[in-house]
Amino acid sequence: MDVATQILISGLTLGAIYAVSTIGLALIYGALNMLNMAQGGLLALGGYIAMWGMQAMGWPAPVAALAAMAAGTLAGGMIFVAAARPMLGGEGFETRIFIATIGIGLMLESVILKLFGPQPQAQSLKLEGGFMLGRVSLPLQNILIFVTALLMLVLVAGLLNRSRLGRAIRATSMNRDAAQLMGVPIRRIYLTILMLSGALAALSGIMISSMSGLLPNMGADPMLKAFIICVVAGLGNVPGAALTAFAIGMLEAVIQYIFGVQYAFAILLCLVIAVLIWRPQGVFGQKEVVRL
Amino acid sequence: MIRNPIKRDVLIAVVLFALMLAVPLLTGTRYVLTQLTVFFIWAVVASQWNLVLGVAGIFSLAQMALFAVGAYATAMLAYYIGLMLPAAMLLAALVTVGVSLVIGFACLRLKGPYVALLTLAIGQVMYLLVVNDTACFTMPASGCLPLFGGARGFSRFGDLGFRDLLGSKWYIGHYYTGLVLLLAAQLFCIAIIHGPLGLAFRGLRDNPGLALARGVSRMRYQLWVFGLSAFFTGLAGAFHAAQFGVVGPTAFAFAMLLFILAMIVVGGLGTTWGPLIGAALLMWADEGLREVSDWREIGIGFVLAACVILFPKGLAGIRLRSGRGPDPRQDAPPAPPPHTRPSATPGAGPAATG
Repeated sequence: MDVATQILISGLTLGAIYAVSTIGLALIYGALNMLNMAQGGLLALGGYIAMWGMQAMGWPAPVAALAAMAAGTLAGGMIFVAAARPMLGGEGFETRIFIATIGIGLMLESVILKLFGPQPQAQSLKLEGGFMLGRVSLPLQNILIFVTALLMLVLVAGLLNRSRLGRAIRATSMNRDAAQLMGVPIRRIYLTILMLSGALAALSGIMISSMSGLLPNMGADPMLKAFIICVVAGLGNVPGAALTAFAIGMLEAVIQYIFGVQYAFAILLCLVIAVLIWRPQGVFGQKEVVRL
Repeated sequence: MIRNPIKRDVLIAVVLFALMLAVPLLTGTRYVLTQLTVFFIWAVVASQWNLVLGVAGIFSLAQMALFAVGAYATAMLAYYIGLMLPAAMLLAALVTVGVSLVIGFACLRLKGPYVALLTLAIGQVMYLLVVNDTACFTMPASGCLPLFGGARGFSRFGDLGFRDLLGSKWYIGHYYTGLVLLLAAQLFCIAIIHGPLGLAFRGLRDNPGLALARGVSRMRYQLWVFGLSAFFTGLAGAFHAAQFGVVGPTAFAFAMLLFILAMIVVGGLGTTWGPLIGAALLMWADEGLREVSDWREIGIGFVLAACVILFPKGLAGIRLRSGRGPDPRQDAPPAPPPHTRPSATPGAGPAATG
């Protein structure tokens, strides 16, 4: 029973962290057919800005978190302006933007490395303490992560389903040409999506670093996991990505308990490969028919 | 000017090969020759990856994993079984082909970005399995050694025999081995690009409907290219192991993968000579940036991003557009009438079949 509670707590926390960064990626792919490989750099950016804001500038925690999200928004917007917009609609966009964002991510991580140094640091934005649930300790930080993530998911869902902007975003992902003909300013929508996803990545970066510490390349593994979640859900499927994030988080917690932490990622990847062989378009994806 | 592109490319290859043959006679500097040997290795990997990525249109990031398979197979065959290194290298290349076919069967049913992520994940799994394995398989004098070498990797598995043959000038032997390897790999590339396989992929790109209707199977041809290019990639990995005498998990490093990818992209994706130009340029730039090593990563990132954004066809593409007239073979067929043109998803990459 205690073990089950423990697994449930860490699984839900992992799932919450993954969900926040994954929905951003899913939004981008859904609308632009673009895999944002700079996500890892954005995660690190968010974590470091929050730490820097609290330690060097002495900001209170919420301000530091908002500053990190603002930095993420700015970086996301710059990725669109500098990289995505010039090649939009060109030949081989998917391949080229993939490679370009790899380059941007590498630059982001190297700049962070130069500014903050290679040694691991602790995230200052963190709640200490917790309480006991039976014989299992429940850290306040985990609760904070879970609640923030849930809040973010509800906000994004509300934005997508209820607002005018959300309708424009959904229209653009369904059919770019039709949306443009109906007067949707798709370039501005793209910019908004990348900025939104940058803010979500920064927030996720704070969460990740509060659990495992800050390192310039801390975003690499979470980014790979976020992409795997996207792929399992079916690329571009936002609600599916959120659900799959929690499922994968739970699965990872179970695997960590049974086989040990060092094999968790490897076993997870093998399972994903198996899933993809069974359903190449993802669990929630629809079979794509391409007319010639 | 030679009109036939096959003859032209083979001629360039032979002339370059002859020029490179003379280098050790002109300079005896060990540093220069060793750097050139390393260039040969990366040029082979880049040219083979370009076949997969640029010619066949498989968005695979597994090439460095295959390179590592070649290196590890060589080290393990030589270390555990005591095989002579040249024999181990050839066997390792065949092992790599086998592994690549398994990866190919799993991945090639998927669409572009799925393939990229899955192949990246496969490389990561291999890396994690090698590094996290701490159980001792054998106990040599230097201490516990896991089956795949663990985080430390393999060393002392023999050499190519040039030390006995040439004494202190052994690196010249490695230089010529690398040069021959690169020549073979490049001739293979030319044969693929101008041969039936290249023609099939050009058909699939220019008019997928017609090509599919004529029985050109994308997946079958992709699997061919994937498997064949794995042979030289594995051989390059094996030669890398022989050249440096160590094999470790750094072969899987993401930075290495990016470095080679940058070579292809900077040089020109899908072109015959682009990967070689890119490999030469990036290795030269890398040496230049060694003085300011913390700027190296930023520099590579910047070059990678700037090149894809500004020169979609790479440096080789620029040369083609400004220097030479239009390729007579490419604009010969008249454009199909508008209503038969493929209407792929807007802005998406090459049209994929569902």
